[in-house]
Amino acid sequence: MEEHYRHLYEALSQVDGYIYPNEIDLHWGLMIVLYPYITGLVAGAFILASLERVFNVKVLKPTYGLALLTALAFLFVATLPLVSHLQHPLRAYEILMTPNPTSAMAIFGFVYLWYLMVVLLLEIWFDYRLDFVLWSKKSTGFKKYFYKIITLGIHDTDEKSAKIDDKLGYFITVLGIPSAFLLHGYVGFIFGSIKANPWWSSVLMPVIFLFSAMVSGIALVMIIYMVVSWIRKVKIDMPCLDTIAKYLFYILIIDFTLESLDQIHRIYEAEESFDIIKVLVSGKLNITLLVMQVILGTIIPLIIIGIFQIYKPSEKIRKAAYFFVGIIVLIGIFFMRWNVVIGGQLLSKSLSGFTSFNAVYSGMEGYLMAAVWLILPLFILTFLLWLMPPWKKVTTHE
Amino acid sequence: MGPKRIENKRRKFFQTSAALIGGTLLYSLIKPFEALAQPKEEEDPKIDKADLPLWGMGVDIEKCIGCGKCAEACKIENNVPIEPFYFRTWVEQYTVKKNGEVKIESPNGGIGGLKQSVPDEDIFKSFLVPKLCNHCTKAPCVQACPVGATYISPDGVVLVDETYCIGCSYCIQACPYGARFMNPVTKVADKCTFCYHRITKGLQPACVEACPTDARIFGDLRDKETDLVTFLQENPTEVLKPHLNTHCRVFYNGLSSEVR
Amino acid sequence: MPKIIFRLLFSFVVFVGVFILIQRSLKPDSFGEYGHYRGNSLNDNKMRTPYFKGEAKCAECHEDVYDMKSMDLHDGVRCESCHYPKIDANTDCEVGPPIVKGTIKFCAQCHGINAARLDKGVPQLVLKEHYENQNCIECHNPHAPWDLKE
Ligand code: HEC
Ligand code: HEC
Ligand code: HEC
Repeated sequence: MEEHYRHLYEALSQVDGYIYPNEIDLHWGLMIVLYPYITGLVAGAFILASLERVFNVKVLKPTYGLALLTALAFLFVATLPLVSHLQHPLRAYEILMTPNPTSAMAIFGFVYLWYLMVVLLLEIWFDYRLDFVLWSKKSTGFKKYFYKIITLGIHDTDEKSAKIDDKLGYFITVLGIPSAFLLHGYVGFIFGSIKANPWWSSVLMPVIFLFSAMVSGIALVMIIYMVVSWIRKVKIDMPCLDTIAKYLFYILIIDFTLESLDQIHRIYEAEESFDIIKVLVSGKLNITLLVMQVILGTIIPLIIIGIFQIYKPSEKIRKAAYFFVGIIVLIGIFFMRWNVVIGGQLLSKSLSGFTSFNAVYSGMEGYLMAAVWLILPLFILTFLLWLMPPWKKVTTHE
Repeated sequence: MGPKRIENKRRKFFQTSAALIGGTLLYSLIKPFEALAQPKEEEDPKIDKADLPLWGMGVDIEKCIGCGKCAEACKIENNVPIEPFYFRTWVEQYTVKKNGEVKIESPNGGIGGLKQSVPDEDIFKSFLVPKLCNHCTKAPCVQACPVGATYISPDGVVLVDETYCIGCSYCIQACPYGARFMNPVTKVADKCTFCYHRITKGLQPACVEACPTDARIFGDLRDKETDLVTFLQENPTEVLKPHLNTHCRVFYNGLSSEVR
Repeated sequence: MPKIIFRLLFSFVVFVGVFILIQRSLKPDSFGEYGHYRGNSLNDNKMRTPYFKGEAKCAECHEDVYDMKSMDLHDGVRCESCHYPKIDANTDCEVGPPIVKGTIKFCAQCHGINAARLDKGVPQLVLKEHYENQNCIECHNPHAPWDLKE
């Protein structure tokens, strides 16, 4: 606690203008930045998978299974930063036991459960069921038991059951698209519905969150696809990669347009809060917003992929460029979340001053913990890829 | 009737019953969401709200001298940590300078007495505003709490359930007045309760008790005889941030438009 | 209905059923009594002990001071505004009130000059000009400020 107080005294000395005395403590730190970030990756990866299946973009087939498993791996972790930031993590179960129907955060618990249990797990299950049955006959040890249990005792491998799997899987995917929209739109709503905070309170917030989620998810799957192919020493399917990049390009444009729209709207309306937002954007958020989010995370990727739409250099250059674009897009979207979550708390609700954010390294809210939550899903993904490699699948949906 | 038929029959039975059970369960799962569509007025037959008091407070800016006694008394009465980051109530000093600039300050929440930092000749006007939880009728914090750990009591006070709060800070983000904070000792959200333990025993809140100039008037808004009602009748009063439609129950007399 | 759907539906129903059972059992008893919160929490909030006892309580032991104060201009300033309460001060008259030092800083909380305080009935002083560097209580009695010692 002494540490905490010392920290706050430091923040107190950096206060700009006037803030309410209770606002010196920034209540939402790095963990809440990660939470929409990771949920966004899930929603984005899932939508990429749906693109292939529902919208019939067949070139994307090599990434279908990968995208689903990525979504799953990140979804397992998605709520953990949220729980670890709670002051009473052991009471977290109350959110599911006595959810307050008017609270955006409470309903999120159910949206999450719905998405995990009904959409993602089921879709993956339908996709893999037949393979589980076949694999369970061939493999040994842990894998065998796992495959046995996960089939839920259904051993049909005939044509008809495969058809049913396919149909149901398709149905779930169709159901999954609005669910993924809901999942991430909802995260945006958690911020957008706070009328007390002029930086958050915006009807566009859910939509912006949604599109930035797609951007980040697609970029992530693109990178993972490249890395996995590289590790497996197989050739990267270039048309597939080009198509992913193309979608990334389009959605990035939509995302950028929406965000600009939001800001233009703010600038033009110039409400009571505008004066302070102006100072916020040009001051405390200068680097994270203008440099990291807009220039690095949006403009540069748009230019690079934009050029590729007209002029296609050699595969090698394109691969390197896509990898680079993927990384900077991920960084850019991370800072987008940062600017929303941290930026919104930097300005005082008295609209006449700023507090400052001092990150810590250790502890529940520190950088180390953040790194854990970002790396953990990659381990889970590795495990999932070992357990149910999409490239070893015998069956594929139509 | 071979075994196969029985098998089939049994399966049929399972199927229909499963569908029935599933249906009801699903319904009860969806039910909480209904309230989302149409927020019901909380009404309970056990308590007749009209018999209960409806607590409120009047703040007379014209009387406040910014001695900070209320903020200090509040900390003592409610075991709020003494560090200058935790306040259930505090006093702000607004100074409008001759060049139109507004300077707001509240060092240590006003505890120890506020001092004017602007030289006299630059001052256009200066006044003091005590702040506290406004006990909104449509409280954004109560709306936001995911678990129902903060609520409006039947007598109109916004309270926190310390044994139930999970410490997510969402209510703190939702409060437009900055009246909430995370108590570092109990690790739950903390806020002004109008000294609920005092008012239910017939006492005045600690801040009202400590105010040397009676700048705070506390009372029952339903009882037409109280000082508070007289205060509201005799003075033009205003609430803070009315555009947010929170319907506060803390009323200010002499509120200037600079106050946020 | 194909077996697979039945199995899944069944698992779903079991899952939801178990969830609802857990929910029923973990919900606190008094939850929802008056609204979406634990009804007993109202009592929890009521139960705490008040620190501030009020002037009547102070006067039980210190009637002399109380009378003196009510005769003078500090009448409106209640004992506990200056002497912050101790939780056990209501029981034993032998226990003195919490010590306050009548320093310049102490009186300045209310009497130090501040543009926002003028014309509010509390006299303001530029303390430097008013008998510089002498503690206020060397001349004024804090309880009856016009009861000057000199
Ligand atoms: C304006 C602030 C103020 C108020 C109001 C006030 N006091 Fe005091 N009181 C003081 C100060 C300052 C001293 C210390 C005097 C000294 O050091 O000689 C003091 C001293 C005392 C003492 C003597 C303590 C001792 O050990 O010598 C008693 C008893 C006392 N106060 C009782 C009361 C009571 C009872 C009331 C309410 C009726 C009251 N006071 C109201 C400021 C105040
Ligand atoms: C909690 C705030 C507070 C503190 C602390 C306080 N006073 Fe006062 N004092 C007042 C108020 C309020 C009045 C005006 C009462 C009235 O006019 O009705 C007052 C009035 C006075 C007056 C009378 C002025 C007049 O108009 O004739 C004197 C003298 C005085 N105080 C001296 C002191 C001294 C000396 C101390 C320090 C021991 C002190 N006060 C501490 C609040 C305070
Ligand atoms: C040397 C003795 C002495 C000291 C020390 C002293 N005073 Fe006084 N005070 C007086 C006398 C005598 C008067 C009445 C005549 C006057 O106004 O100068 C007075 C008057 C006052 C008044 C009323 C002024 C008015 O305009 O009505 C206040 C308020 C006051 N004193 C507060 C204080 C405070 C606060 C302190 C401590 C910083 C203090 N005094 C220290 C002797 C003293």
